[in-house]
Amino acid sequence: MGQESFRGMPINDLYSLALDEASRLGATYADYREEDITEQSLSVSDGSPELLNKSFSTGFAIRVIADGAWGFAADSIINEDSIRKTAATAVEIAKASARINKSALELAERQVVEDAYATPFKKDPFAVPLSEKIEFLSELERMMRIDSQINSTSAFMTFIRTQKFYASLDGSRISQDIYQAGCGASCGVIRSHRDRSERSFPTPNGQWITGGYEIINMFDFKNELPRIAQEAIQLLSAKECPQKELDLILGGDLVSLQIHESVGHPLELDRVFGYERNFSGVSFATTDKLGSLKYASDMLTFVADSTYPGGLATYAYDDEGVKTERNILIDKGVLVNYLSDRETAHRIGKKSTACARAEGWMNTPIVRIPNILLLPGESTLDEMISGIDDGIYVISPNSWSIDDNREGFTLGGEVGWEIKNGRLGDMVKSPRYSGNTVDFWNSCDAVGNSDSWVLWGTPNCGKGQPGQNMRTAQGCSPCRFRKVKIG
Amino acid sequence: MPEKLEILSRDYILSTFKKALEFSEADQTEIVLESEKLSLTRFADSKITQNLTTADNKVVVRTIEGNRIGVSVSNSLDLESIKRALKAAREISSVQTPDEQFVSLPQSPPALPVKAYYESTANYSPVNRAEAIGKINDVGQKNNLLSSGAYRITTDRAAVLNSLGTEQFFEGTKAELSLTLSGDNENSGYAIGYNRDVEKIDPTALAEKAADKAVNSVNPIKLESGPYTVILEPSAVGQMVLLFSFLGFGCKTFISQRSFMSGKIGQQIVGNNITLIENPYHERMQGMPFGFEGVPRQKVYLIENGIARGVVWNSYYANIAGEKSTGHAHPAYKTFSPYPGNLVMGEGNSSVEEMIASTERGIYITHFWYVNYLNPMRTMVTGTTLDGTFLIENGKLTRPIVNMRMAQSIQEMLQSCSMISAEKQLYPQYSVVMLLPYLKVENFNLAAEEA
Repeated sequence: MGQESFRGMPINDLYSLALDEASRLGATYADYREEDITEQSLSVSDGSPELLNKSFSTGFAIRVIADGAWGFAADSIINEDSIRKTAATAVEIAKASARINKSALELAERQVVEDAYATPFKKDPFAVPLSEKIEFLSELERMMRIDSQINSTSAFMTFIRTQKFYASLDGSRISQDIYQAGCGASCGVIRSHRDRSERSFPTPNGQWITGGYEIINMFDFKNELPRIAQEAIQLLSAKECPQKELDLILGGDLVSLQIHESVGHPLELDRVFGYERNFSGVSFATTDKLGSLKYASDMLTFVADSTYPGGLATYAYDDEGVKTERNILIDKGVLVNYLSDRETAHRIGKKSTACARAEGWMNTPIVRIPNILLLPGESTLDEMISGIDDGIYVISPNSWSIDDNREGFTLGGEVGWEIKNGRLGDMVKSPRYSGNTVDFWNSCDAVGNSDSWVLWGTPNCGKGQPGQNMRTAQGCSPCRFRKVKIG
Repeated sequence: MPEKLEILSRDYILSTFKKALEFSEADQTEIVLESEKLSLTRFADSKITQNLTTADNKVVVRTIEGNRIGVSVSNSLDLESIKRALKAAREISSVQTPDEQFVSLPQSPPALPVKAYYESTANYSPVNRAEAIGKINDVGQKNNLLSSGAYRITTDRAAVLNSLGTEQFFEGTKAELSLTLSGDNENSGYAIGYNRDVEKIDPTALAEKAADKAVNSVNPIKLESGPYTVILEPSAVGQMVLLFSFLGFGCKTFISQRSFMSGKIGQQIVGNNITLIENPYHERMQGMPFGFEGVPRQKVYLIENGIARGVVWNSYYANIAGEKSTGHAHPAYKTFSPYPGNLVMGEGNSSVEEMIASTERGIYITHFWYVNYLNPMRTMVTGTTLDGTFLIENGKLTRPIVNMRMAQSIQEMLQSCSMISAEKQLYPQYSVVMLLPYLKVENFNLAAEEA
């Protein structure tokens, strides 16, 4: 079922005034983006309501190139007066930028289109009664209270609808109506500050999709939540994670984070060109390595694909009006493309991979991680485990840090298990591993098959100044890595 | 000339909120404004790559029916939009599960006035920012370095009104310039300046400080992993103290036993030379004098001479624990624990020069990169050194070193400070501003990063 209520945007033709005004003041490029965002968040904690909130945000932005430099201005008040002032501010800012910049920026070509897109979903989350949602979350909490030792529980759901309209001076007119949904639960035992444990499901961030209320049916909460509660209790007496070089299997949720941190971010082309040097860092994957860098083992192919149904970063057009399509980033281990916007793509003579996205109307688009898919392999989890004599299996990411060049990293999970002679062994607490991006991905010798492949949503990717939170996704299955530094 | 976007006046905001309160039929009603006009210029490779001005508001409406709570957020400041938000909040509170621990919205006296608004900052234009970046580029060019960074100018407004008569309004400006100068040999230096008055920020001086580090960072040597004596600049201290604060100084984490302060009030938890105070009224802070429930913020001793003294509270958790709110509530749509917003660390009597001179072998650290928790139960964090890491030998800075990864308990770090500087610097991170000294720390754990 699609969205019967989708009315398209904008609700007036002030965008034409914005573009005309920018052009009149000297802009050689201008785009107008208006967004109307509705968000509903619910959470319960320790048997009590924690939050029930509905928020609305509406505004517009005008982005221009004048004298060869960018200018951007945005306002929440949409009327003729504010449109004129905002257009004038954007052009004024661009001209100030041009005082410093010695060369004019250029953009990669893209098609001018008139189009509309709406997220398909099965059940409109905003039409579900609040009381039903509250009861569902309370039931999740009850499922985790399997033992009196469990003294911390929480569950949440969030639904976001973003209606956006993009218009550009060169004639594009694009309406999109995006629905995003998230849901998850966690529990723990707290005896003291230093003696406590926590487990979450499906991940510490829950799971996130583009779609509707059907997200609550994606998981077997009834069986999984008592299981994680049991694990939370077991973790208190679990042994410490060993500190040595071992073979490693990561659950799909941790592979997702590993992709995000050491494939997604390093391949953002603005980062590669140093645009984030002062804040989000740079990248080792410089353009001189394109086509030659053996980034990962032969069995690994990574694809950027925001056309993939249901991904948290599934959309039809980015915020520069570039249509999304499937782009191979790493082909059988070799770096072949980047994540880009029109400005950075032009610098390498390619077309944009439609990754220019802004958090809300008030931010300027920058290069963001879309859906990145690690194509599935052939192995089952049991087969991967059976191929290890001495190793560790880690799931549920809860700690991560990677250097400013996106090479050296340390990641950790909520829980792990030893692997001895091809079998899962004892549970271990605070499992962590570290490595170097290229060495690590090249040490991968088994990839889970399509049965274990999940498109994991990441709702909290931070980048840029002002800080922009973005929703991304990584599709993957469990993977096996050889000789990794554990602990 | 300032950008043309305007923000609404204090009188308009307060009168509109009062009308909205009169309209509300809830048992209790609270209306909160968070407003920001942001102007920001980002630069990289000595060019301006992003340049913007935006203006936005958050109007947060909380309605109470008995002890059922509903929250709605809108970004429109006209009366009709606020009435719609009130209606949405009431629809929520009518079906919400009762919160048996909720007592009442607070009734608060006016907060102390604070001078936090500077015309010089509010009127700082895109051309002014470009000129500042030009000065930074000049320093870079002289030293064969490229510049990158961000110049951020904000005008914030906040208002809290509730149906019990609470009425607060705040307006403040902030100027923050952070910059990195970098060369062709992976050498770089970093500096940051922050003040409510933009005239107190000297782009050239900051650039020269960063350039000095970058120029001296060529051909770094690699050190073995191990515990080192380190000297931390205020930026590095701030990154550690901020995470420490998030872990322990908020009431929600405190009463849930997740805080290192839980059960420790009155006990020594760090070195007796460490004092940490939440103080929005410090003359260099000029912090917002009330929280987002309208309760005036209190000066709170968090740690005094190493002894755990207290945490910051909002009214909800204060009621549960039998404490008084210290005025640190977040807006009602945020569920995470309150935390200090204006952290001041007690000064020592050393200078950074004396710290270096007294170090036989150690490491000087400008700041860290990507600091994140490793093990919150042990206040363990990780991250790498960056933009100016130097070896100290026999009382002198001698060589640049390859960046290293720390794996360090912050609590243990604060138990191992052997010297604290008299000089302190303002350091902003997220919504928190800190006033911090240099620290000399013994046995700080650093590991060679994976090459």
